[in-house]
Amino acid sequence: MNEPTNGDPLIHFGRMVDNCYDYAEAAKAQGRPVVGILCEYTPREIILAAGGVPVCLCGGALETIPEAERTLPTNLCPLIKSTFGYHLQRSNPFLEWADLVVAETTCDGKKKMYEIMSETRVMHILELPQMADRTEALARWTEEVRTLKTGLEARFGVRVTDDDLRAAVRLMNRERGLRRRLADLMALDRPPLTGRRLLDLKSLISGIPADLEQYELAIGMFEDGAAAPGSPRDRLDQPPPVRVLMTGVPMVHGAERVIELIEAAGAVVVAQENCTGLKPILEDIDPGADDPVRAIAEKYYHLPCSVMTVNERRIDSLRDLNRRFRPQTVIELVWHACLTYDVESFRVRRFVEDELGLPYLKIETDYSPSDSARLTVRVEALLETVRARAAADEGRR
Amino acid sequence: MIGGGIDAGSRAMKVVLMDAEDGRLIAAGHADQIPDQARLAAELFEETTAKAGLVPRDIGRIVGTGYGRQLLTRADTTVTEITCQARGVQSLVPEVRSIVDIGGQDSKVIFLDGRGVRDFAMNDRCAAGTGQYLEMTARRLNVSLPEMGHLASFSRRPAVINSMCAVFAESEIVSLLASGAGTEDIAAGVFLSIAKRIASLAGLRLQPPAVFTGGTALIPGMDKFLAEALGRTLTIAPDPRMTAARGAALIACEQMRSAKPAR
Repeated sequence: MNEPTNGDPLIHFGRMVDNCYDYAEAAKAQGRPVVGILCEYTPREIILAAGGVPVCLCGGALETIPEAERTLPTNLCPLIKSTFGYHLQRSNPFLEWADLVVAETTCDGKKKMYEIMSETRVMHILELPQMADRTEALARWTEEVRTLKTGLEARFGVRVTDDDLRAAVRLMNRERGLRRRLADLMALDRPPLTGRRLLDLKSLISGIPADLEQYELAIGMFEDGAAAPGSPRDRLDQPPPVRVLMTGVPMVHGAERVIELIEAAGAVVVAQENCTGLKPILEDIDPGADDPVRAIAEKYYHLPCSVMTVNERRIDSLRDLNRRFRPQTVIELVWHACLTYDVESFRVRRFVEDELGLPYLKIETDYSPSDSARLTVRVEALLETVRARAAADEGRR
Repeated sequence: MIGGGIDAGSRAMKVVLMDAEDGRLIAAGHADQIPDQARLAAELFEETTAKAGLVPRDIGRIVGTGYGRQLLTRADTTVTEITCQARGVQSLVPEVRSIVDIGGQDSKVIFLDGRGVRDFAMNDRCAAGTGQYLEMTARRLNVSLPEMGHLASFSRRPAVINSMCAVFAESEIVSLLASGAGTEDIAAGVFLSIAKRIASLAGLRLQPPAVFTGGTALIPGMDKFLAEALGRTLTIAPDPRMTAARGAALIACEQMRSAKPAR
């Protein structure tokens, strides 16, 4: 029913939601359960091994927020409100198809929202220990992941063997590896993609075979010298844009306004240290591990979310990304009322300014475009500063 | 060669003309904003050039800045008010390390080092901490802005205004008036509440010398309240309303100079 993509992966991923819709509908018809997920801590491998289709339900729409605010406080993160608005309006087909929603005790806003959501939806909540350095924390989390496995077995009437888990690990390793290779293209002096375009090269549902083929195709294309429209490689007549590392909250489907205005102001976002970017794909799982559940739990537990204390892994990750992607500045995005990222931004700023020696800008906003013009002023001023400094350094050499 | 700067602010339009050869100020003008910003900018620009005995085509390059910068059809290019403000103040106070700017609809603190802007912080999501809020209070107290500054200097016990929002602060002022608080204490309370907002915007990073710009810098005593909240004295910039337009004109001059030998 879709128009042909002419072998263009950009067109394929431009239709990502429709692709996922078709895939989930077909899977459902074959009797596969659809399992909604709301966070990158959810181990997709467990769901895949149980025959489920893991689909991300995080809301990126401004339109569902007013409905959510009739129940939830206005002063709450837009991602939580938007997700909850879809739940109330029953307007997210993937949520309506979901046989189960898996979630974790991450931030307070989410976990309290889940209490209300679970009144009318079947949910499995995992307890996420938040002191990542404690020796017993990983063991505790591993037990939670094991409970998810047995829970899915009981609910869906299946038996999940270690081999099933290893197959799921290999599938997800492949997907993460392909997405990493695409993201690594941004390390080039003239990246063949914009950050905004790269953000589109992913899917709400993991492990769709057609997506994996398209990732391969895209990598081949760009490694052969192709350039996405508007990318620095495409616009060779223009000076290279300012390289920006974005960090902070995820920019889920529909909530891409900030990265768009940053790149429209004359920058290219070369690295995205967030859950819709590099954060969940930096690490793989050993498919040969004796205890695959533990190996899976460990990978996911390493995710450096600001709900963790002390979240030293995020600083280490930023240090590594700075070395690999060579940004000229760091912009942190914090969704309004996201307490953990907002408070942690103090440490991130200090690290970026003092250790990396780069200018830092924090943008705190929500899904409403009302402040776009004002945010543009800040971003433009930051880019003017970076360019002026680069020019002065050039002159001194 | 003459460079022009147009600063389309929320409350006023400003035009500055500078000589690109010797960096001398040639002419400056300002006018209250009207809805048709492009027309106001064009008229003010012509008026200012005529005042200097020039015609518009004598101006080699024009840089636009301020919130209305995209509407300035006369500008050759645009630069943000942060860069322009820094450039303008640096030309007057070369050793400046911090700039506090309180304009009509936003307030900002700019941190500089020897190389220019290092960092900045802006409040632009609400009216509290802006000139707009001061104007609203002055209207409530039935005085002009300079009179309000004068009035505040007589305060012995500044009123405490807790509201973080200009709308709620207005109702707080209404209650204070109803409870019989003196207008001098209310005026002082309002200045202090703005000064505290700026202090939290600046955090612990404000380094001397600090320069105060924006139309509010002309209100008598405003700098004292800021100094009290910030724990640092501030120098009021010469002609503090015009510094961003001056910076824009200087950037226009620099762009002309660097474009010349290159091609």
